[in-house]
Order: sequence, then structure tokens, then C-alpha cells
Amino acid sequence: MERSIQKIGVINWIILLVVGAGSALVGRYAATATGTVGAAFVGIGFLVAVVSYFQMRLEERERVEKLEYEELSKARSSATLFREAEADTFPARRSREQFEKYLVPLFTALLFLLQGGAVWWFWKWLGKAAPPKLDHAPMAMALYALFALILFLLGKYSSGLSRLDGQRLLRPGAGYLILGACICFLVAGTEAAAFFGFPKIDLFIAYGLCVVLGLTAVETLIGLVLEIYRPRVKGQAARLLYESRLIGLLGQPGGLITTAAQALDYQFGFKVSETWVFKFLKEAMLLIILLQLGALFLSTMFVIIEPNEQGLLEHFGRPAGARAVLEPGFHFKWPWPIDIVYRYQTRQIQSFIVGEVPDPDLDKDRTVLWTRPHFKSKEGEGSEMPGMLVASRGQIARTDTNEKAVPANLLTVSIPFQYQITNLLAWVYNHANSDELLQELANREVVRYLVNVDMENIMSSGRLAAAEEIRRRVQARANEAKLGVNIIFAGLQDIHPPLGNKRTPVAAAFEQVVSAVQQKQTNHLYALAYAAEKIPSAQAEATHTLAQARNAAVTKVALAEAEAARFANQITAYEASPSVYTQRLRLDTLARSLEPVRKYVLTATNTQDILILNLEEKIRPDLLGGVIAPEDVKSATTNK
Amino acid sequence: MKRNPITLITAAVLLVIFVCMLFTFQVRQTEVAVVTTFGEYSRSITEPGLKGRLPWPIQKVYEFDNRLQTFERKFDETITKDQKNLVIAVYAGWRVADPRVFLESFNGDMAKAEQKLEEIIRNAKSGIIGRYNFSDLISTNLAELKFDQIEKEMLDAVQAQVKGTYGITVDAMGIKQLGLPESITSIVFERMRAERQQLIATYQSEGDRDAKNIRADADAKANKILAEASGEAKKVLGEADAKASEYYEAFRKKPELAIFLMQLNAIEQSLKDRAYLILGPQTPPFNLLNGAAGDSGSSLKK
Repeated sequence: MERSIQKIGVINWIILLVVGAGSALVGRYAATATGTVGAAFVGIGFLVAVVSYFQMRLEERERVEKLEYEELSKARSSATLFREAEADTFPARRSREQFEKYLVPLFTALLFLLQGGAVWWFWKWLGKAAPPKLDHAPMAMALYALFALILFLLGKYSSGLSRLDGQRLLRPGAGYLILGACICFLVAGTEAAAFFGFPKIDLFIAYGLCVVLGLTAVETLIGLVLEIYRPRVKGQAARLLYESRLIGLLGQPGGLITTAAQALDYQFGFKVSETWVFKFLKEAMLLIILLQLGALFLSTMFVIIEPNEQGLLEHFGRPAGARAVLEPGFHFKWPWPIDIVYRYQTRQIQSFIVGEVPDPDLDKDRTVLWTRPHFKSKEGEGSEMPGMLVASRGQIARTDTNEKAVPANLLTVSIPFQYQITNLLAWVYNHANSDELLQELANREVVRYLVNVDMENIMSSGRLAAAEEIRRRVQARANEAKLGVNIIFAGLQDIHPPLGNKRTPVAAAFEQVVSAVQQKQTNHLYALAYAAEKIPSAQAEATHTLAQARNAAVTKVALAEAEAARFANQITAYEASPSVYTQRLRLDTLARSLEPVRKYVLTATNTQDILILNLEEKIRPDLLGGVIAPEDVKSATTNK
Repeated sequence: MKRNPITLITAAVLLVIFVCMLFTFQVRQTEVAVVTTFGEYSRSITEPGLKGRLPWPIQKVYEFDNRLQTFERKFDETITKDQKNLVIAVYAGWRVADPRVFLESFNGDMAKAEQKLEEIIRNAKSGIIGRYNFSDLISTNLAELKFDQIEKEMLDAVQAQVKGTYGITVDAMGIKQLGLPESITSIVFERMRAERQQLIATYQSEGDRDAKNIRADADAKANKILAEASGEAKKVLGEADAKASEYYEAFRKKPELAIFLMQLNAIEQSLKDRAYLILGPQTPPFNLLNGAAGDSGSSLKK
């Protein structure tokens, strides 16, 4: 019997290995996400089955060792021969104990990492998983059904055997076999659903399996932690640490209460399962579940619409007449699937951006400058589409039709649009992707507007008018397309020349133009300031010159008059004594005139001598007058 | 054997649900459906509601979204009639027009339909753009612009191609984005920058010119004011000379005295500043120095 159980253990892990590999291959062949994630479960089951098989072999060796020991004990009465250290006496038992003490926790920890890693990887992978290949679906269905049958039969057989006393090591593998059978059955179902037009079910179930795998990982971790604090009851066999109760439960849902009871009994060390609460739950569980399902079903008979929403009520798939659009509040309806309500946030102001999308990382500065990047580079477009084409009046005027030059400029554009859904029926029923279509229309209108407007104009005086015109055009287009929206706002606040590149900074050149204009105005003002100073100064000088001339004129006339009057009197004096009068005037004049003059009077009569006079310029006496002589020098001079 | 009534009711409910699911199906307002019997076309359903069917595998139902689908092409480089390269992206709105033909043409696969549509759109787009000049797409002159016409021609071309064959109609088409290839973009950047440089130079030279003009004008005005003032001053002095000459009539009575007085005045004026005067002993009154102090005292006594 023992040997046949070991054989079952071997068969279990071989089958799990084969089915796991087969499931992965078929999953790839049919592009089924559920099948691929399911293969991971079967693969983990293979590892668990291998470890439990080794533990099974160790226990078998221990049992044989014990039998041999008992037989030897009976045959020889003298015990002295066997009084050795226990470790030497029972090597198989010691091996088993070492295995349980070190290898099992280590394997369980590895199992946890494996499960957690698988969940992380699959969750990422499912985000970009391709839909199932419909052509391969029938074949995949058949293969998965075959896998399910094999796993189910073997799992049931192993599960039955594991209930026998001492065969608990078959249980972990059996749990994975039955769960594997359920998953393969599910995969066959998802393939059928995909074949009949519901390919998304495959993805939903794959995500569900990921959640289960995650829960299993959490259970493994909790089991590892709780094992440290579990009360050790002498004689009670330790639970298999790598065995998942959740897997056993999913494989055999009927044993939910039993499994839970076993877990509680094991963890608390007393019979929780014998309390009345537990017995009541066990008996009434089906009823409770049915009641909950009933309550869930009844809850589909009413709906509460939130303040920012409207609901779309469909009766057997068609809008429910006058009640098709449900306003915020409480509403009754037929239960699912007769009536179905779809919620839409119609009152909420929604928005999208045409053109560049501001980068929150680059846009942290409080100042947004043209010369500093503040947009996200769009993947795949960043290098190729640095801006939108915009007409340029000046450039078009210069460009000959035969020239290769492009008569357009580029403009970096980021236009936020805000809108509200005003007609829910039009929004939902006319277009499959109304929001996408609205964005396309808005994009088209922006491009259409820019190709016909002058760049200088739209960036300056025409900005506000342009924003209103674009909003009006998008609204008209949305009305034409029967989108049922109201375009509330279109903003052209972020429209400017492109940043350019390192070699050609375009936005910076635009700023330099503004600097040049400022410089021009500065020069103009300086010149005006010069003019403002120059003319009044000249006027003042002219006034001065004129005043001087007038003074001179007055003086000249007055002097002439005075001299004439004096001359009349001088004639009288002259006529009285002409020679004396003239001589007197001469001497008076000489005395007065020569007073400041340096005079040399040569009285020598010897005219043969040559006199040398030094008429060299001396320091002027007025300059010397300013010098204060020291007191001793002054007194010395005075004494002389 | 005693049966649990809850189990029986549950089983009955599940059975009813299962039977309903086998024999009925819903078509939403947004959908059209095709029913096939043993793979052969039976009927198309274009009205929403609860519909009956025979269970699988006898009948099979294919449901398609009959709303306008938005389809967007990626950027494509193309060339205009005047040999200018453009990068252009278009969008299209299409819907299932004939569900039976759509099922037969694309096996009901929307993605396959879009794939085929993409080829048709791309062909129409390049063909139509190639017939127009660059300025037909971008121009400040509205009369010259043929943007709407180009879009309409694209739509007509695509509609003509898909009509009847694919089971779909293309209801809308538009240019979503226009751009330039990277190599041309760099050149456009360079040109835009050159335009700005030209403006900068213009503003700078205009500024210099204006400033010089204003300064020159101010100088001219100032010079004029000074010159006028100088002229006026000379005029005033001339008038003063004329008036003063009237008083000189008095000098005619004794011209030799007047000349003598003027000479004295001239000597006095010329000796005002620094001067060295070297005089001989015969010059009066210094002739008194000749013959020592005794002589002079005697002559006075005489």
C-alpha cells in the first residue's frame, strides 16, 4: 500500500509537470490569458507535489526504520548493544526532522516569493495581453477539456487516498490537481465565450486568477508567520506548511466549513468547530448564501444616481422611453438583466487638451517661459512633430511657387477644452467613442484655424478672438456630428513659438525682437531728451547774447553822450591855456597809467655802455600776496 | 430520499436562467446582429430588444456595434503637387452599414475592418494631397485655401472604394494634424529665427535713425535760435553806434583837442595790463631826475 501511495505521489508530480507545460503551450497557441495564468497554478502545484513526495519518502524510510528497530528489540533482550545516541539509532527519523525543520520553511518562503513574483509579472503582462485567437479556440477548448478530465480523475483519486490515515502528504498535490482541473475547465469556458463573441471574459477571469494567486501568496506568508507562534501540542502532527487551505477549498468548495474548522482548531489548539455558532453556520451556510444572492438580485431593482451623473436606462437593450435618462436621485427599475442602467458623469465638467500636454514635472516653476520646456514629449511624435503649422503672411508674400521653401511657420500649441454632456442619448448612441471623436474634431478645427491665420496676429491682438472662434467652430462641428455636448471653454493661453533646438533657439529669437523694440524706444527717448535739453539751452544763450548787446548799446550811447558833454567843458579849459592844459592832462594820464607798471629809468649819461636788463617773467606779486610768511621771517623783514 | 426544497428551488431557478440564456438574446440600441443557422446566414437584426434564437450550436448570433467608430491614422509623410513634403494625420468615422456583408468580409472583426480601411484611407490621402499645392493647405488667403475641399475629396474617394463591398460606410473624415518632417523642421526653425533677426536689425536701425534725426533736428533748431540772437545783437549794437555818433558832433568844435584826448585814452588803455616801460632821462617828468636833487631844488627856488 505504501509503495503504491508513493507511486501515486510520483504520478501526481509527473502529471502536474506535463499538464503545466502543456497548458502553457496551448495557452500560447490560443493566446488565452486564463490558460497562461492557470499554467502557473499547475506549475506551482508541481513543485508542491515534488516536495511532498520527498517528505513522503522520508516518512516511509522512518517507518521502515522503526519496524526494524522494534523487530531487533524483540530478538535481542540485551539492550546494551543498542544504547547509543538517538541520532545514531534513528538516522531516517533525524533526516525527516531536519527536512521539516529547515527545508520545509525554506521551500515555503521560496514558494511565497514565487507566488508573489508571478502575481506581479502576470498583472503587468495582462495589461498588454492580446485577445484570444478565435481560429485556435476549438482546438484549445478540446485540449483544456482533456487536461481538466485527467487532472480531475487523478485529483479525486489522490484526494480520496489522502483521507486515509497517514496519507496526508498526498493532500497538497491532490488540492492542486483538482484546482488545476477547475482552471482547465474555466479556460475551456473562456475559449468558448471568446468563440461566441465574448473575448473579454478571458481577460476578466485571468485577472481573477491573479487575485487568487495573490491571496495564496498572502496565505503562505501568514502561515509562515503564524507557525512561529502556534502552540505545540505533544503528539500532534505538524501541519504541512506549504499546503494551501485556499487551494484545497477552491478545489473542493464543499469542504469550506470543514477546512475552516480544521484551520481554527489547528491554530487555537482547541475544538472551535464544536461550538454552536460554528455548527449553525455549517448547517445554514447554503441558505445564507442563497439569501445573499437573492438580496444581491433584488438590489438590481433600484438605482441611486449621484449629483454629477445621469443614468441611461435600457429595457431589454433599448432606451426605456420617457424614463431613458435618469436624473440624480433614487429610481426603481426592473431587475437585471431586464433593465440595465449605465451611468455617465454628464454634469461634471470634462476636459481634454489639443496639442502639447503640460508636463507636471517640468511645470513646477511658478513662471512659464517660452524659452524653458514645459510640455511632455509625446511618444513617437516628439522628434517628428515639434509644433503645428501656421500660416505666415510675410513668408507667403516672399515665397515664389517654384521655390522649395515652406511658406509656413511652426507654433507650439496647447489648447485646453472644457465641455459638458448636454444630451446623454446622443452622446451614448451616436458614436462608439464620443470623447475620442470630440477630440478629433477639436484637433481638426485647431489645425484648420491655424493654417489660415497669421502667426503674428494669433499670438498678439487676435488671441482672444481666436480662442472664441475656435470654440465656436468646435461647437458647430460637434452639433453637426450630433455629439450632444456643450463646449464651454477653449483657451489659447499656451500658444507660442517653438522652443527650437540648441543650435536654433526660436523662442529666444522672438524675445530678442521684443528687446530690440525696447531698445529702439530707448534710443528714441534718449534723443528726445537731448532735444529737450538742447533747444531751451540755445534759447537761453540767445536771450543772454541779446541782453548783452542791448547793455552794450545802452552803455555806448550813454558814454558818447557823457563824453560829448565833458568835451564841451574841456574846450573851455583848453582855450584858457592850451599848453598847460594839455601838459597837465598828459602828466595825469602818465601818473595814473604808469602806477602799476614796472618802470626802468636810465639816468646814465654814458651811452657807450651796454645795459642788460633781465625782463624775465617773475612770480606775480598777487600770487605772492596769497602766501603767508612764517612769523620769524615776517618779523625779520619788519626789523630791517 | 428526502429532498431539500431550497436545493430544488435553486436548481429550478438556475434551470430557468439557463434555458432563457439558451433561447434568447438581447440586442442593444447600439448594436446590430446577424443570426446564422448551422453557419448559414438566417437574418439581420437592426432593431434593439429581446430576441429569440435556437440554442448553440444550431444558431449562432454575431453582434456588432452600429455606432460611428472613430478611427485615427498615424502620421504619414507625403508630398504635395509643388514637391513639398508634409507629415499628415487624418481621422475617419465609420460604421457597420450591412451586418451580413460585414460579417462575411471581416468575419465580424472590427480590428480587421479598421486594418483594411487604413489601407484605403492612406491611399486616398496620398493621392488627393499629391494633386494640391502646399499653399492650398496653408495660406492666410482664404480664397486660396482648399482645406475643406481636400477633406471632401478624400472622403468621396474612400466612400467610393468601400461602398457595397465591405459592409461599412465612412461618414466623416478630416485632417487631424499637419506637420513637417524633422529635417525640414530644422530649416523652418532656422528661417523663423532669421526672420526675427531681420526684425531685430530693422528695429535697431530704425531706432538709431530716429534718434539721429531727433538730435539733428534739435541741433538745427538751437543753431537757428543762436544765429538769430547773434544777428539781433549786432543790429542793436549798430543802432547804438548810430545813436552815439550823434553825440560825436560835439568833437568837431576842437578836433585837435579831441584827438589829443583820444591818444591819452589809448595810452591809458594800453598800459593797463603788464608792461615794461624803459624811459630815458629826457622824458618828462623823469627829466627832473637829471642833475640830482640839488638842481631840482634850486630851479624850484628860482
